[in-house]
Amino acid sequence: MNDVPNKMPISAASKGLASCHLCLKLIKAEHHSCPRCGVAMHLRKTNSLERTLALLLTACVLYIPANMLPIMITDQLGQPTESTIIGGVVLLIDMGSVAIAAVIFFASVMIPVSKLVMMFYLCWSARNGPPETIRQRTVLYRITEFIGKWSMIDIFVVSIMVALINLTNLLVIRPGVAAIAFAGVVMISMLAAESFDPRLMWDQKESENE
Amino acid sequence: MNITNVNNDRLGDEYLACPSCDLLLNVPMLEDGESARCPRCGQFLTTYRANELSHVIAYTASALILLVLACSYPFISFKFSGLESLMTLPGIALRLMYIGMPSLAFLVAAFIIFIPALVIVLILALSIALKLEQQYSWLRSVGRLIYTLQNWCMVEVFFVGVLVSLVKIGHIATVIMGASFWAYGAFSLFFVLSLSGLDRVQCWRRIEALQP
Repeated sequence: MNDVPNKMPISAASKGLASCHLCLKLIKAEHHSCPRCGVAMHLRKTNSLERTLALLLTACVLYIPANMLPIMITDQLGQPTESTIIGGVVLLIDMGSVAIAAVIFFASVMIPVSKLVMMFYLCWSARNGPPETIRQRTVLYRITEFIGKWSMIDIFVVSIMVALINLTNLLVIRPGVAAIAFAGVVMISMLAAESFDPRLMWDQKESENE
Repeated sequence: MNITNVNNDRLGDEYLACPSCDLLLNVPMLEDGESARCPRCGQFLTTYRANELSHVIAYTASALILLVLACSYPFISFKFSGLESLMTLPGIALRLMYIGMPSLAFLVAAFIIFIPALVIVLILALSIALKLEQQYSWLRSVGRLIYTLQNWCMVEVFFVGVLVSLVKIGHIATVIMGASFWAYGAFSLFFVLSLSGLDRVQCWRRIEALQP
């Protein structure tokens, strides 16, 4: 029982200790709320994998209308033109602004899709993943957590275009329903990342070592 | 500084569990400017800066003034075939509301103005109280709110969105940046500095030290 380095890694849970998810205070696992900051205490996030998977599936379902329905409607001289997320990217490439098309494509397609795929993989790997890759998987989780909100770029771009381009009868831009669906995808996948507990992956590795 | 895995169930400020991999760690007292990472998974744990609070107070106070400025002047204006249209920061949400998308208006206003404004005011209040070493009953609730809401501030994301829109609209018309544009740009810088300046572990240790 000394502060000597161990050959076998020792987790806090194996010593009956829990770490507060909000203020990182280390306390005995039997506490129901953190004595320092007052939030409810759990050894691991409650029903982490079930919640994460449920939120991920919701985000996947919402991603369909987000891509099929128009995200932006341009009324030029009373003539409405609807554009979807992908349609907007194609239009930007046609107009010659490849860099902006790349930013929008990255934020609205690459990030949300890869985030969903990565989160599904992480949920699967928490129970069945290869132990050799655990460090990489932990880093992967930190990346998904960090990039989540950057998908909102397209929603903000649409909002700015709508607010700025407002010349009655000549040129008006309106937001499409897909904007709400897409905002939903981003927020729900952020919640999914929040409810995933990376410590479950390390728990599984430890139980295999025993 | 040597961060080691330990095998005991003692509690105290020098012990932490890695939030990513639950490794039980002994993190010795940090020197000014030092930071600690988990030796097993690389997770950032904490950093100690002796004058952290003074910096955070300066950043948040600047951010607050800049946000007020950003809300009160024209953000971007746009000229097309002799016509001009002008947009303010609150105008974005108002326009979305007017055009029949109140839910989108609410989300955008919350992510770029209301939640960041609330977080900035709370950080300012908390860091002033901690700097003065004054105990108030609201310290814990304010700390909880800050760390719960901080993921939902999209200030820097919005500013990148503004830059993308500038280039997009710049193709079809003349765009002029107003005072608010620069104010919000500076606000997003100070906002990020305030959030990253207030270290989670050190902040809660200071709150705990003031508890009666």
